[in-house]
Amino acid sequence: MEEILLKIKGISKHFGGVYAVNGISLDITSGKIWGLVGPNGSGKSTLFNTVLGIHQADEGNIYFKDRCITNLVPHQIFDLGLVYAFQVPRLFQTLNVLDNMLVAGREHKGDKLLFSLFFRKSWQKKEIELAEKAMEILRLLKLDHLALSPAGELSGGQSKLLELGKGLMASPTLLLLDEPAAGVNPNLGRSMFERIEDLCQTGLSFFIIEHRLELLFDFAHWVYVMDKGKIVLEGKPPEVAEDPSFYHVYLGDE
Amino acid sequence: MDPLVYILDFIVLVGIFSIFSLSLNIEFGFAGLANFGKVAFVLIGAYTYTLLSNINVPFFLCLIAGAIASAIIGFFVSLPTLKLREDYLAIVVLAFGEILKIIVKSEGWIAGGVWGTPVYPAISIAGSSTRLDMAINIALVYVCLFLSFLLLQLLTNSPYGRVIRAIREDEVAAEALGKNRAKYRAQVFALGSAIAGLGGGLFAQYLQFIDPYMFAPMLTFTIWIMVLLGGPANNWGALLGAGMVQLFDRGANIAKDYVTLPIDPGNLQYIIYGVLIILVLLYRPQGLLKESQVKTKAGESIFNGRDFAKNKGD
Ligand SMILES: Nc1ncnc2c1ncn2[C@@H]1O[C@H](COP(=O)(O)OP(=O)(O)O)[C@@H](O)[C@H]1O
Ligand SMILES: [Mg+2]
Repeated sequence: MEEILLKIKGISKHFGGVYAVNGISLDITSGKIWGLVGPNGSGKSTLFNTVLGIHQADEGNIYFKDRCITNLVPHQIFDLGLVYAFQVPRLFQTLNVLDNMLVAGREHKGDKLLFSLFFRKSWQKKEIELAEKAMEILRLLKLDHLALSPAGELSGGQSKLLELGKGLMASPTLLLLDEPAAGVNPNLGRSMFERIEDLCQTGLSFFIIEHRLELLFDFAHWVYVMDKGKIVLEGKPPEVAEDPSFYHVYLGDE
Repeated sequence: MDPLVYILDFIVLVGIFSIFSLSLNIEFGFAGLANFGKVAFVLIGAYTYTLLSNINVPFFLCLIAGAIASAIIGFFVSLPTLKLREDYLAIVVLAFGEILKIIVKSEGWIAGGVWGTPVYPAISIAGSSTRLDMAINIALVYVCLFLSFLLLQLLTNSPYGRVIRAIREDEVAAEALGKNRAKYRAQVFALGSAIAGLGGGLFAQYLQFIDPYMFAPMLTFTIWIMVLLGGPANNWGALLGAGMVQLFDRGANIAKDYVTLPIDPGNLQYIIYGVLIILVLLYRPQGLLKESQVKTKAGESIFNGRDFAKNKGD
């Protein structure tokens, strides 16, 4: 059964005089892969940052599972099941790869001060469960051999994969991915999307910004095209690809 | 002076300063909270101890009260700054320390104001010798140090310890993974202040006298040097740093009687501190000991488990 997960209604966000996002409305329903494309600087990342509460929207409202989240802060939004993997990976540099994953674990009693100190038994089982889950995801992303290396030592592509891994680790209902395949080896990029498709079957939903259109268009069920802060086109990937205005927008300035 | 007493005195002070440096280490080393007002929380512990022990409250209650008072005040002082950038916290607590000192100086009813006040030792045995008093102090200080160290080792090797390090590394990313950074920072600040307050109580009862001048910013910077030298985010490093700085301090004090310097010998230790900090920051910015890894058994259970299975198979 399909439900509307994320509802964006007339969202605007400006920096100084520049409207990075200018009155965007769209719906994201469950169990699907949604795409968002557009030239550099068209406001895609700003839209995601605003949805996640990292930026405050200037106008409009955002709803997640019918709950208004416009004024919530990021950690509250995370608790509702909406998770974001950043475009530029934001890793915990001195922590090792496994610990980076474990930070993203949900509902861990050991994260609480008193439990961590005085009730160690109460979280140790969960800790091991989470570590096993983390290793499973790391194997999938071919990062398992680096589990005990500091995240600061990863290459650019590996950092992107770990950023995605943290997102998956957080058991999201809807995962927002900002250019997950950028800088990642092409074959791994495709198998990453195949895996995303598998996860989609299990009920997880994705909203993905991606510059590698050949990948995104093979997997997305619906694509929004952004230009200068507005949605200018939307549809099924083949329709969008054939629309003359798509090429005008996407390649126009380049 | 009895050389043994000199050594025992050194041991007591290393213990007390280890407690101070551990308390800064949990704040700055692990959580990235630059507490430039550490001395304020030592002062709160010391004065709470003194005021209560002067009305005959048992010493352990005085120590606990000092820790709690420090924690509560630390919590409220840090609260308005925790959502702002880290440097705001540094400025606010630095100012708070100075203000507190001025208040204590000018309010005569608080433990003698500018004149200071004598403090009863925690445990005194009638007719005991200086050596015995020292030994008692060592026992008391090192029990407190051991408990603080144990608490911090448990905390930093737990999922909680991982979260505060994550917030230190990237607060936005940690927040986007569901971690309420303001809450974690307030807790860490309260805990660090509690430990500093405990140390402050021990300090007061050991010196058997307090006045506001003992709580100058120099004390804060001494504690900072201990943490930076020993290695931030490593509890053993905090102990090592405390020991080494105390050693340098003694060394400088002895040396100045034997060498003739073209400078005021009273400033020698400050010069040594300055040189030390520059050398550490230049050549070993991570401190003598590296940041410790989070050990919660999760990694071990997975990796040892696998190695174990493999070895068995072989
Ligand atoms: N934090 C910020 N402060 C000021 N301007 C910003 C900020 N973030 C983005 N912008 C501007 O907003 C516009 C959209 O940027 P962005 O959302 O990153 O685009 P995209 O992700 O589509 O490449 C750009 O003009 C960019 O310079
Ligand atoms: Mg972007």
